[in-house]
Amino acid sequence: MSKESRMKATVNQKLTEMGERERLKELLRAKLTECGWKDQMKAHCKEVIKEKGLEHVTVEDLVVEITPKGRALVPDSVKKELLHRIRAFLAQHAT
Amino acid sequence: MKMEEVSMSSLDNSKLEALAQDILSDLVEDACLGLCFEVHRAVKQGYFFLDDTDQESMRDFEIVDQPGLDVFGQVYNQWKNKECVCPNCSRSIAASRFAPHLEKCLGMGRNSSRIANRRIVTGNNTNNKSESDQEDNDDVNDNDWSYGAEKKAKKRKSDKNPNSPRRSKSFKHKSNMMGPRRRMDNQESPRMLMKDEAFSQ
Repeated sequence: MSKESRMKATVNQKLTEMGERERLKELLRAKLTECGWKDQMKAHCKEVIKEKGLEHVTVEDLVVEITPKGRALVPDSVKKELLHRIRAFLAQHAT
Repeated sequence: MKMEEVSMSSLDNSKLEALAQDILSDLVEDACLGLCFEVHRAVKQGYFFLDDTDQESMRDFEIVDQPGLDVFGQVYNQWKNKECVCPNCSRSIAASRFAPHLEKCLGMGRNSSRIANRRIVTGNNTNNKSESDQEDNDDVNDNDWSYGAEKKAKKRKSDKNPNSPRRSKSFKHKSNMMGPRRRMDNQESPRMLMKDEAFSQ
């Protein structure tokens, strides 16, 4: 394993151990709902479901259709705020 | 597990930044997956489309966005210019002034008894007709800042009961003032001499 991947594993572990990962997840979820991202994505889901048929849609279908669009639609302000928190954590606990 | 100091310090900012981006990416993917699972379960359990109704109802209750209307499509300032008829005095009053007018008219508000008393006092001295002809009689009386109310307030003070205890007090006060003044007047102007003084000299 390379130095970086070891580092990454360590950081991730620390994030989880300190509960920061959970907090970040909650924060992200709240921000995404606030800014309307969730509603947008739900509307997209409806289209996918109507396309594939209510009975036959699988998790895989949804994941494949939703994830790329979801990543692209996250607003910059939300990204910035999350990054800020992450950087602060890294600065405090990684150096 | 302790962080390896060596590997930490050798990392430059760009690597830290890349790491931060990675973590963000993980979190976003987590959120997307969460949403997918939520939606999939809702679909399979049958409650995903519950908040949708038929097209026609959706159109009926759509949010209205026109000027002059609220979101339900109702006109929201149509009561501004309406007039109501007072059941007590049968006058036609503007809607926004109706509640205060009723208060005075029925004798039920906080100040209505005070105003009624005031009116009784002035009613004895001046002509009643001129006051009742004013349309906004009630407003002028309870509005502290209007010039008309001030004038009436001043007038009423002078109309106070001449037999009230206050009046006699002022006489008492005058007689008290006589004492010290007397001596002064003696020296300066002989005209101010009181009867008593003439004798005491």
